Amino acid sequence: MNRDEILAKLTTIFHDELDNDEIVLHFETTADDIEEWDSLSHIQLIVAVEKAFKVRFTSSEIQSWNNVGEMIDCILSK
Amino acid sequence: MVLQVNQKFQHQFQVDDRVYNGFISVFGDKNALHTDEAFAREKGFPSKVMHGNILNGFLSFFIGELLPMEEVMILSQHINFKNPVFLNDILNFEAVVEEQSEAVQVNTFKFKFFNSENKTVAAGRIQIKELT
Repeated sequence: MNRDEILAKLTTIFHDELDNDEIVLHFETTADDIEEWDSLSHIQLIVAVEKAFKVRFTSSEIQSWNNVGEMIDCILSK
Repeated sequence: MVLQVNQKFQHQFQVDDRVYNGFISVFGDKNALHTDEAFAREKGFPSKVMHGNILNGFLSFFIGELLPMEEVMILSQHINFKNPVFLNDILNFEAVVEEQSEAVQVNTFKFKFFNSENKTVAAGRIQIKELT
């Protein structure tokens, strides 16, 4: 999968987990840009992303991400 | 993490008068299916059907009291009701750690309640976060 394909799959996950189909993700999107993306939903997003992409993150990896693009880069590195 | 994948927990619950009346007293659901024997029989049940959400209370007890750590919170729970529960039924509960996310300290349990006839009355998944 390339970055765009991962972004598309992540968008579906965000729609499901945050219960909002109007969310449009970009590589630069951060939690500040999405009202529903709070501390608890972040945890569920991580679990859903790990499951969907069959990857495991470390706590230092997820803390290092500044935006969706960096999350995607981390997925690609697995 | 405190828990391990495939770790299993078991417990027995009884839907006795205290639980049944307590649920009605606190939440006020006096729907005829739950309180009127004749109505329940008319609908094909042998007696009044217990509130399904009593089982969610048992799930709360499982997470809050039976796990080997206190620093924990429920993130989500999904339950499918498969068979009715009746007053004084003894329910066997079984939960297994199905998945874990080390990164966010989350455990997902697959759980099941079954009655004394070994029929599954409810099953689902509950997701918790270790707060350590």
